[in-house]
Amino acid sequence: MSKAGDWRNYKRVLLPPVKDLHRLDVYEANEGYRALREVLTTDKWTPTSVTDEVKKSGLKGRGGAGFPTGLKWSFMPPVNPDVPRFLCCNGDESEPGTFKDRQLLEYNPHLVFEGILIACYAMTIRKAFLYVRGEFADWISLMEAELEKAYAKGYVGQNIMGSGFSCDIVIHKGAGAYICGEESSLMNSLEGKRAYPRIKPPFPAQKGVWGYPTTINNVETLACAPLIIRNGGEWYAGIGAPTHAGPVLYGISGHVNRPGVYEYPTGMLITDLINEVAGGMRGGKKLKALIPGGSSTPILRADMIDGVTMDADSLRAAGSMMGTSGMLIMDEDTDIVSWLRRITHFYHHESCGQCTPCREGTGWLENIVTRIDEGEGNLRDLDLLIDLCSQMEGRTVCALADAAAWPVRYTIDRFRSEFEAKCKPSLVASGLEMATV
Amino acid sequence: MAKVTIDHQTFEYEGQQGLLQFCLDHGVDLPHFCYHPAMSAPANCRQCLVEVGMPQRDRATGDVVKDDAGNDVIQFMPKLQTSCSMQMADGMVVKTHRSSELVKRAQKDTLEFLLINHPLDCPICDQAGHCPLQNQAYKHGPEGSRFEFEKVHKPKHIDLGPRVVLDGERCINCTRCVRFTREVSESHQLTIIERGVRNYPMTPPGVEFDEPYSMNVIDICPVGALTSKDHRFKARIWEMSKTPSVSTVGAKGSNVDYWVKDNQIMKVTPRTNMEVNEYWLADEERLDYRKFNEDRPEGPTVEGAPVSWDMGWKAAADCLQGVDGSRIVFLGSAWATVEDNYLLGRLAAAVGASAPVYLPHVESGHGDNWLRTDDRTPNAQGCERLGIRAISPAGLKARLESADVLYVMEDDPVASGACSVEDLAGIKVILHHYNTTNQTLAAADVALPAAMAVETVGTYVNMDGHAQRLRPAKAIAGVNRTLSMEIGKCRADRHGTPFDKWYNESNLVDCQPGWVSLPEVAAGLGHAMAYKGPKQIMEEVSNALPSFKGATYPAMGEHGVRLETAGVTA
Repeated sequence: MSKAGDWRNYKRVLLPPVKDLHRLDVYEANEGYRALREVLTTDKWTPTSVTDEVKKSGLKGRGGAGFPTGLKWSFMPPVNPDVPRFLCCNGDESEPGTFKDRQLLEYNPHLVFEGILIACYAMTIRKAFLYVRGEFADWISLMEAELEKAYAKGYVGQNIMGSGFSCDIVIHKGAGAYICGEESSLMNSLEGKRAYPRIKPPFPAQKGVWGYPTTINNVETLACAPLIIRNGGEWYAGIGAPTHAGPVLYGISGHVNRPGVYEYPTGMLITDLINEVAGGMRGGKKLKALIPGGSSTPILRADMIDGVTMDADSLRAAGSMMGTSGMLIMDEDTDIVSWLRRITHFYHHESCGQCTPCREGTGWLENIVTRIDEGEGNLRDLDLLIDLCSQMEGRTVCALADAAAWPVRYTIDRFRSEFEAKCKPSLVASGLEMATV
Repeated sequence: MAKVTIDHQTFEYEGQQGLLQFCLDHGVDLPHFCYHPAMSAPANCRQCLVEVGMPQRDRATGDVVKDDAGNDVIQFMPKLQTSCSMQMADGMVVKTHRSSELVKRAQKDTLEFLLINHPLDCPICDQAGHCPLQNQAYKHGPEGSRFEFEKVHKPKHIDLGPRVVLDGERCINCTRCVRFTREVSESHQLTIIERGVRNYPMTPPGVEFDEPYSMNVIDICPVGALTSKDHRFKARIWEMSKTPSVSTVGAKGSNVDYWVKDNQIMKVTPRTNMEVNEYWLADEERLDYRKFNEDRPEGPTVEGAPVSWDMGWKAAADCLQGVDGSRIVFLGSAWATVEDNYLLGRLAAAVGASAPVYLPHVESGHGDNWLRTDDRTPNAQGCERLGIRAISPAGLKARLESADVLYVMEDDPVASGACSVEDLAGIKVILHHYNTTNQTLAAADVALPAAMAVETVGTYVNMDGHAQRLRPAKAIAGVNRTLSMEIGKCRADRHGTPFDKWYNESNLVDCQPGWVSLPEVAAGLGHAMAYKGPKQIMEEVSNALPSFKGATYPAMGEHGVRLETAGVTA
């Protein structure tokens, strides 16, 4: 049952259909920076009331973990004028199957800037870093130009709108490592260090960038903040699934007719997203499998998605996770083993190498899956793969080991027969007796 | 007092303490690689995983929840925790591999991962035999390997700097070396490069790993990835024996182990002493050991001709016999022990000469406020405390103008520029020397080879007033019961002694400690200066001189004694 209500008449708010919205004048003409002005210049808003409004909205982080945003903001320690504090906006989007933040940064960057400024106001932060993937070079320069315009107009910088609140935004280009999207390694990377994730505790709110209190939010999460201020937390909470509210960007890729990023409420039926939003399966093929939220979320077989909606509760019940809502759709011709080989290659390539289980395990997983994909695998390799997953999960500093192990574990679990078919036949199955070997 | 329960055994503790260090301090052995007590804990090797739980508390009342039997209900954390990064808390319950199958399995799993891309070239690896990876793999690791693929290849035998060689394939990425250059030496000369399984430590482009403490990374490397350019492939660890002693290179008196094979010093490594050098040692202290093996004299000489020891001592006594005390100069040494300098002082007093002096060997600007010091001698402080004062080369030269005899103990006034060989032509010179390169040797009438710091028993006092014992690491030619006993006492094995299969007689140096030679010379002059050995001499010194109060051999032990500074003119 869809929880998205009348989604066919849904009006887009994160990426509204306005031409040239990335330009400051167009953005201003479309309610741009109204929420910020309201927050900074009216008595209605204090840092606490902004945070409370975000809490009321039920906004959960859109970066994958789905942590309640308002709660995260309230973890910041009390303001001490002598201690700087920072906000990091995480735009280091690089999980396979996830490509939604770049749409926001490319087509509606001012909404992100406005969200950053509101968040900074709510947490009394005077400096925010927007950490973007360096590969997005083409439009980062456009975004930088727009930020300059916002500075010139007095939306960013010193004494914003005469309110006495000052805040700088620094756009920082990453050098292209997946691990930099992990919040603590993002901070290390920002500091100019090698992007090794840090041990938690201490959490970023206690010791973040350069050891100072820091909050890290995803691009899409922060883009929701102006909408919540403009329309109220209750309005936001009323969109989509009650326990996982709000508009969300679905990045749909794979074997569908119209892949792309679509904004709809949470709680959409997966079948609606495939068959109606994305225009159905390409070439009229049958759906075989999908991953709902980026490559690390557990894969779902076609027979597992009946009635499943895109929100945390429903996906958990179905045996997967919401992740980044980057959906990868695979049709009946897909070679699942080959797909998993590509995924294991990615995690092998991107493991930072700090912790032993991940550094060594990701490569080993790729070795074995490759061998199976090339028809040289043995049936016992499947058990070994599951064993290795158990040796990696939950035993590292960050979650990359889990992200690398889950696809392997769940793909074998849910498509075991395909793996067995690619392995060398067992002696029994090939009709050979042990004695004759 | 706060309590922590480890494997059903309860310990009390105070203050903030790391769990792994507490376990190690209390005899609970936990495997680990990346943790080092002097550096931050990155928790990256994942070897020290344990189960950690806390008493469950009622949310409303805050009281500890009890089960039916009245015991605390322990709530274990869902994931295994790295004990190195875990701070202990009151009531914490810890399960190690001794009581948890889960932990045992995790430790085995981590070792399996560590070994899949490790070259396993132990038979040719210098670290084999004292390798934490090897030891822990035997103790906690899996039997055999399930890895059936080609190992990752990384650069091998790379000179990181003039003294340290890297084998990238052996590296397990514990980052101890990198953290050493960041947090301890602060040279920032190493970092990890590449990513994932191809990671290895390297210098930044254009930088050489040449800091004066670079070789410490060799000791802290838990595998054979970082080896000493000087020592690699020279000796296996089990062919050597080690003796705890003190460095001779500077006034800091860093604690060291001397490693001996075939009665030759093979390498010098730091010995932990939190009051002196902590865990570290300067490269210069490690590499300045060839002086112990090379250019050593072969027995006493008189006028350049080899003589027996008895004749040498008698010749020395003859030089002093009947000379007016005011015309004899006694030169002590900041390289010689407190005991030997004390005996020299006694000899000077016996012949009516003024107290000995010593030549300081100070190289201004060499020190770094850490382990390297401007003073290049180990015992200037000991001399001063004995009342043996420093004299400049010019001052010594002036005194020699009215001298008939110069008695030099373990120094080289010619090399110091105090005098030339020609200046000494009219003066009888008695010389206790270490090496045949001693430039005063050419002017010596009587040359009595002296045992060096690695061959004798004695005491050095470092610049901070820390009195520490020297122990004999290698044997000298001839029989000396005191030295033999000391070698036997301070070596766990018998390598290098006559009972050892590596024993090699050709490397025994025919020399004598000052505490043998000086009483013999005194006896030749009719002065009784008999001691049972240096232990008794030091007992006398510590009783007679307030500046040495408490500095007896039993008190000094392995880590030395901090002497009173009151009343010392140093």
